[in-house]
Amino acid sequence: MLSEYISNGKNKSPLTPKSIDKMPHTLAGLSFKEWRDARKSNHKMRNIRWSVLVFMNLLFVFSFWLDLSVLEGSLSGSRLVGFYLMDPFNALQLLAISSTTGYVAMLTMNFFIGLATILIFWFIMGGRSFCSWMCPYHFLAEWAEKVHLYLVNKKKIKARTYHIGLRFVFLAGFILLAILTKNLVFENLNVVGIVSKGMIYGPSLLLLWVLAIILFEVFVSRRFWCRYVCPIGATYSLVGKLSPVAVKFEHDKCGYCLECQKVCLVPHELWFVKRGAATQDIHFVGSDCTRCGLCVDVCPGHALNYSVRGASSIM
Amino acid sequence: MDKEKKTIKRREFFKGSIAATAALTIFGASTFVLDRKAAEAMPREDFLRPPGAIDEENFLYGCIKCGLCVQICPVQAISLAGAGEGLGFGTPYIEPRLQPCDFSCDALQCVEVCPTAVLDFKPFKKVGANAVEKAAAQPGVDLSQVNPFEVQKVAMKEAVQMGKAHVNKNTCLAHQEEGFRGTPRGSDFKGVHRSPGKNEISASPLRDRTFDREICDLCITECPIGEKAIVQKLSRSGKLVPHVMDGCTGCGVCQMVCPTQQPSIIVEPF
Repeated sequence: MLSEYISNGKNKSPLTPKSIDKMPHTLAGLSFKEWRDARKSNHKMRNIRWSVLVFMNLLFVFSFWLDLSVLEGSLSGSRLVGFYLMDPFNALQLLAISSTTGYVAMLTMNFFIGLATILIFWFIMGGRSFCSWMCPYHFLAEWAEKVHLYLVNKKKIKARTYHIGLRFVFLAGFILLAILTKNLVFENLNVVGIVSKGMIYGPSLLLLWVLAIILFEVFVSRRFWCRYVCPIGATYSLVGKLSPVAVKFEHDKCGYCLECQKVCLVPHELWFVKRGAATQDIHFVGSDCTRCGLCVDVCPGHALNYSVRGASSIM
Repeated sequence: MDKEKKTIKRREFFKGSIAATAALTIFGASTFVLDRKAAEAMPREDFLRPPGAIDEENFLYGCIKCGLCVQICPVQAISLAGAGEGLGFGTPYIEPRLQPCDFSCDALQCVEVCPTAVLDFKPFKKVGANAVEKAAAQPGVDLSQVNPFEVQKVAMKEAVQMGKAHVNKNTCLAHQEEGFRGTPRGSDFKGVHRSPGKNEISASPLRDRTFDREICDLCITECPIGEKAIVQKLSRSGKLVPHVMDGCTGCGVCQMVCPTQQPSIIVEPF
């Protein structure tokens, strides 16, 4: 049971692809192209997600500006109506350094409660959901991504991809650096923190670093920071390994059009959408998925949907 | 996945890892150098760490730069250092000439709110509890007349040690036997504080106040700690001058209110 939950059928032999008379566009009586493009302008989930993201980040800003005291602090560490929340990678670095210096004994109970709360909440909500539903940099990067794709489309620049596992090299490297230099090295480069604090406490020179990363994403590699570097995302992807909230894929509704992979931040997680790749009738998208819902919006056959894993077996 | 594809993937990972390691080395080295510079520059006269700050070495990594201390401070005395200050990016500091800590939050809220205890509340908690115990144990004390919160908060603020004020005799008005009349820092100065003499609930702007003193003693009358921190004393040459006591907490209110062009009383951080 559990191993099935984890493996998600990757090592099984694939199902036989559907024949033309079983394909959803045939069943709907449309041409493949008509069927595929039917939901291209559907942005329901994206609009909901953007609203949540903007609302939460403005809540941070106005909690300080207007002294609302609802969500104080920043994405590095905050208090939601007095209840502490801690950024997990920041906390991980601090724990790594302070366990070598003995400072770990000084940390307050609020710190540990805040860390546990965040881990439990994002475990349930799907780990990297933080990225697409909370992270202000993700929001900026989505716009940069549009420009990048436009330039690639016009053949002005070449699309470059790298190995997805590099995130974990950065994750380990930043923790090692933290211990060696006795400093939260990543916090100085953390575009998420810089943008979040820039909005709340006023802009700083460090925004130039954010600009540099955005320009890199526009002209060199699509979503470079989120895909290959950000150790916060990598931490959340570990947190969300077994998350119940996930995007569910149903093979019988899929038309193998690959529209979902085109919009996805982590297309390797949608490995089963290709013709002849799915090994089960139902797959759940893996832990690198940010639950952004772009695939849910675009899927012409409604084969991809949010769901709670294991809910049917409990109910 | 076939074998050839796997080899390509592995090579891609290997190449990426080398680039990542190079980048990480640069990040680490530059942080290390900048940090050293920041540590060498501390303590600095124009910046104080907030109350209860632990030693600088542990402070630099223990502070997660969340800014909760900044947000809770009612007089907004605390700011986060930018890239230019050379204090460690994003760490909190107080610039007392512009806005000192005037204890108008009553109970060291910036210290209490800090989740990683780089502003360490534990010693203050102990001091506060001891003070309440001591007050209650005094013979002939009517317990109903003792307000434990009041006792606690006074004891805690007196236990703060951000630095100690020093008077510059060459510029101090009292040392020149001069008085002061008017508004000390001009009519557009933004700093606020809670004046001990006025019995205010919250801080009010310094620009709204006017003083008229035969011999300038603003640093003495505006001190939130009182005679344990600073007193007026007759000097050997017969002048009435401010004299800083050992109870000075280094809050910097005197530094803000000092009416001379350059402050004649300056907090030197410990």
